[in-house]
Amino acid sequence: MQFTRAVQALCDAEVEFVVIGGLSANLHGSARVTFDIDLCYSRGTSNLKRLAAALAPFHPRPQGFPAELPFVWDETTLRNTTVLTLQTDLGEIDLLAEVAGLGSWEDVKAGSILVGAFDRTFSILDLRSLIRAKRASGREKDLAALPELESLLEASEP
Amino acid sequence: MTPEQRARAEERLRNPAPGSRIEAAEKYGISLSLLIEQLRLTPAERARKIESASTVLEEVRGAARKRR
Repeated sequence: MQFTRAVQALCDAEVEFVVIGGLSANLHGSARVTFDIDLCYSRGTSNLKRLAAALAPFHPRPQGFPAELPFVWDETTLRNTTVLTLQTDLGEIDLLAEVAGLGSWEDVKAGSILVGAFDRTFSILDLRSLIRAKRASGREKDLAALPELESLLEASEP
Repeated sequence: MTPEQRARAEERLRNPAPGSRIEAAEKYGISLSLLIEQLRLTPAERARKIESASTVLEEVRGAARKRR
């Protein structure tokens, strides 16, 4: 996964997004390796346009979508979906309009912090929100990440 | 994280309090020394590390798929 190019493309296009998954955990100090980037994004019309334009050069298509079928990537596609797992030239990018355990974009944004990485400054979930989201997802791999994240939280508490 | 906060975090990870979540994580199999190493890095350094690790592991996974 080309995290640097993905984050830089989104930041340079002024997309409003929060990194919410394993990459967020890594930036907090998790040692688990992740192969994709999970994002929550603002559903505002102008942001959907910016998001569509930012990812277009990397040929996004839904994962598992038949190659012979046409797929239109634009803001209308984004508006009509709330969860998209995309295969792109950069790797897998998951787009979520809302996050289990947290809520809508506004809730996710409220539970985020700014971080400097990949030569850009952008938002990632804070550790408490990340733990809440992982717990709420209920997926085995998310639950398995909790002991490490809770350790990082406990270690960093005042 | 300030140097003082990092020192406190390292101490907690090096000597987990009985009954703490850190102790539970160690029993679960989490390497606390690896977490200490991670905390010594800046987010930017962690970002570079994860991109590099992800790329290498993807190449390994790709090679393994081709051999099947």
